[in-house]
Amino acid sequence: MNMKSYRFVRFLNNFGVYFVLTFFAFVMLFPFFYMLSTSFKIPADTFRYPPRMLPRDPVTIQVEGYDEALPLYFVEVDGVRNEYALVKSNIKVGTYAPADDLTKTFERFLSEVKPTGGVMNQQKITVNGEEVKLFDVEVDGQVIPMILIEQTTVGEFIDPQNPESEPVFQNVRLSEPVENVSWHPENYKEVIELNNLGRALTNTTLVTVLVVLGQLVTSVFGGYAFARLKFPGRDTVFVFYLGTIMIPFVMLIVPLYQLMVLIGWTDRLASLIIPWIFTAYGTFLMRQHFITFPKEIEEAALLDGASRFEILKDIIIPASVPALATQATFTFLYAWNSFIWPLVIINVGNEKNHVLTLALNVLRGRASDTPNLILAGAAIAIVPPLIVFILGQRFFVESVAGSGVKG
Amino acid sequence: MTAQSRIEAQMNLMLRIHVVWRGLVALLAAISIGVIWQRMVETPVWQKILFSFVCVLVMIFSGYGAYQISKRNHAGRMVSLTLDYLGFVVCFVFALNVGEFFIGIDALGENFGKGIPYLGITVLGYFLGMLEEYFPTKNKGAENSLKTVSKWVMLGGFVLFLWQVNALNGIIYFLGKLAQPSGSIAIGGLVIFGLSLWSMRQPNTAQALNVKTGHEQIINGWLFLSPNLLGFLIFFAGPLLLSFYFSFTDSDAIRTPNWVGFENYAKILNIKFVTLDSPDQLARDVVDIKVYDEVGRFTFGNTGILFAAADKFFWLALRNTLTFVLFAVPLSVIPALVLSNILNSKLPGMKFYRAVYFMPSIAAVVGISLVWQWLYNATIGYINYFITLGIEFWNNLFNVAVVDPKIQWVSDEKTALLAIIIIAAWQTMGFNTVLFLAGLQNIPGELYEAATVDGAGAWNKFWGITLPMLAPTTFYVVSTTTIQAMQVFEQVFILMNPAEGPNNSTITLVLYLYRSGFQNFQQGYASAIAWVLFIVIFGLTLIQFQRQRRSSIYES
Repeated sequence: MNMKSYRFVRFLNNFGVYFVLTFFAFVMLFPFFYMLSTSFKIPADTFRYPPRMLPRDPVTIQVEGYDEALPLYFVEVDGVRNEYALVKSNIKVGTYAPADDLTKTFERFLSEVKPTGGVMNQQKITVNGEEVKLFDVEVDGQVIPMILIEQTTVGEFIDPQNPESEPVFQNVRLSEPVENVSWHPENYKEVIELNNLGRALTNTTLVTVLVVLGQLVTSVFGGYAFARLKFPGRDTVFVFYLGTIMIPFVMLIVPLYQLMVLIGWTDRLASLIIPWIFTAYGTFLMRQHFITFPKEIEEAALLDGASRFEILKDIIIPASVPALATQATFTFLYAWNSFIWPLVIINVGNEKNHVLTLALNVLRGRASDTPNLILAGAAIAIVPPLIVFILGQRFFVESVAGSGVKG
Repeated sequence: MTAQSRIEAQMNLMLRIHVVWRGLVALLAAISIGVIWQRMVETPVWQKILFSFVCVLVMIFSGYGAYQISKRNHAGRMVSLTLDYLGFVVCFVFALNVGEFFIGIDALGENFGKGIPYLGITVLGYFLGMLEEYFPTKNKGAENSLKTVSKWVMLGGFVLFLWQVNALNGIIYFLGKLAQPSGSIAIGGLVIFGLSLWSMRQPNTAQALNVKTGHEQIINGWLFLSPNLLGFLIFFAGPLLLSFYFSFTDSDAIRTPNWVGFENYAKILNIKFVTLDSPDQLARDVVDIKVYDEVGRFTFGNTGILFAAADKFFWLALRNTLTFVLFAVPLSVIPALVLSNILNSKLPGMKFYRAVYFMPSIAAVVGISLVWQWLYNATIGYINYFITLGIEFWNNLFNVAVVDPKIQWVSDEKTALLAIIIIAAWQTMGFNTVLFLAGLQNIPGELYEAATVDGAGAWNKFWGITLPMLAPTTFYVVSTTTIQAMQVFEQVFILMNPAEGPNNSTITLVLYLYRSGFQNFQQGYASAIAWVLFIVIFGLTLIQFQRQRRSSIYES
């Protein structure tokens, strides 16, 4: 194989690789883009088909002689597409034809056509065995009785630059409105202020911060005890911890609920925090990390008379910042995203103590006709963890990978 | 009297006080048992048993401690320290509870929003202190001043935060509540247990009780582990046992539960298969419809078999959950395997793709489900739009007339579960990719080099080296994905309206558990469902484990 064709094959190969990767990246990212763009739309825009990515607003224009701003539409006059303002909609237009030749049609406004023989005594004619009403239609100054074949509504459009010119009539629904891209950040303001998302965001932050801090403290101490301190019963307890890691949370949901009823924490934020501070899994991860820490440094410090607590505080914790950051990120995501436990323990009516996921569940029912608000709410719940992820990406992805290899 | 003997006399007195104190604690525990069974009639039996058990333990150990201290044995010190520490912790938690500390978190939620910016200042101050580790300066003075500034910023931010969240009022309220009689008891307990702990920790006392060198480590070990272990026992291990107990009762979270034996499990597992005369014979002709409901029927040629169960929803939920697992797990694992092999190449930009793939797995399932709900919308949703575009393209390209299926997704019972499967696969794929990638990076490169020398192609290398070497990772990925998939709940709860989906097509085990336990309040029954779910998960994991072990034996 000569060098040139080898290069060509490799180029094709790489091209294929990037094509597949980019396709999957698109699939992974598309829902996020959709969420963000929809959250900046106006409701009418969200229901448009075919759907569009960027949020758009219909453009209006102030025309002399009209009080309100008029919506702009594209109108084709003599083969030229132009922006025209809609002055009046719902104008009824009829298609008329003489009874003896239905192919010769004339379009007239309903308001311009009078019934033949007057309103009280309208003349009728039989066409194909059916009685049909007759109307006087003027054609080139001549009045001809005709029958109504079809009726539609049109809008009256004028040229905004030249309001005095002849108006154009056209179906409004089939006309394309003039739109410009415009973002509506006020959707966020609305969900935060009117739909309780603000309070829920605060609660979620509070719960998450306390759970992360509490869990770090208990698992650092516990992990250190498991990794470095020798005491009778340690290994038994550790095996016991390990055995429970696989147990799914739903096993606990009923008894934990009853426990909360017993203590009186139902409907309280405490029930979202205190039980989650103590985890077997976090302790296990910390132990796995501490066990790799060189023993010699510790032994030297012990000889210098340092207590175990001082060793932990001054030597081990400063050297374990990446591991702690990883664990904090894990816990952050878990606490921030949890749904079933808050759903069980926090009353639907008690909006004061709702966390984001619960508030979203309420919003889903309340704003089902305004997807822009729902997705703004979803963005409020989704974006903060994404930011944490992007900041802590280096630690996080690597340690997820590590846990898999060890496990 | 020499100083030596005076100290000894003091020590004797001190130890005698400890003996009395231990005896007193044992006595109190004994009295408590009597009170529990005589006075507390309303309390459920399991609570009585639990409290009595604790009291008996305290009584025995406290008595034992008193005996050992009087014998001047170091075991007495250990027992005494343990019991006093536990008593101290209990009093501390009790004091917090009386002062309404835990309930007060709600009040903190009220003002916390105002404090967040100041908390941000505190965090900023912390990072300011970290700066010098990243940009080490030669100038010692500058370094110190940076640390000082960082400290003051942190302190200032935190004080402002406390001010903003009204911490002072909270403390005043807390102290006011503590002034109640029950608060005084808690504080009294704290003082007494604290004093006892302090005097036991004195080197003199330790010496008098013949303490050995290793004991300090034992005490430290249990002390460090204790916060975690206590919480773990109270909020994890205890409830787990309780769940097992509830599964044998008719608990409804309000009334005292009654023991019903295996009734819950019997109802779940009560199923019947009946051969039908004709495939469309009615269920009521062959089974007692007061007990059984039809779950489904299978037809083989002309014979039909009816599957009926006493609790039809459980079996529907099991069917849906297993179907979900059967499709969602391969759909998220196989693409992950392929993608990870591509990402493992040394081409530029792979880290970017890895990060992008990871993003769905960190987003809240509730939020994600809301997004997909609109993507799935049958008339204006993007998914149907893309399908329409694709079909138009196809028709134009090959000049055929494929009809747009106009899938109804969540409102059609045939596609509702599929919709959930797609979301789950989308969300877990990236996570699994990263796990596989780590496994791939651990495979030694020499293996591939050797294979290349032997003339193996890329495909052969994948089957012969990559897959077998990746077996442990695959086991981990498949089993965690399966465990997670077995618990599918949030997606159906948010996406489906009602959550069971059209014609129960998306009722899952956890959803049914939630319905039974928290909407019908049959918590005993819900516990039984939880245990059956656990057994299914455990069984699936065991099967995978066996397969993995077999394949690894084959490898070696």
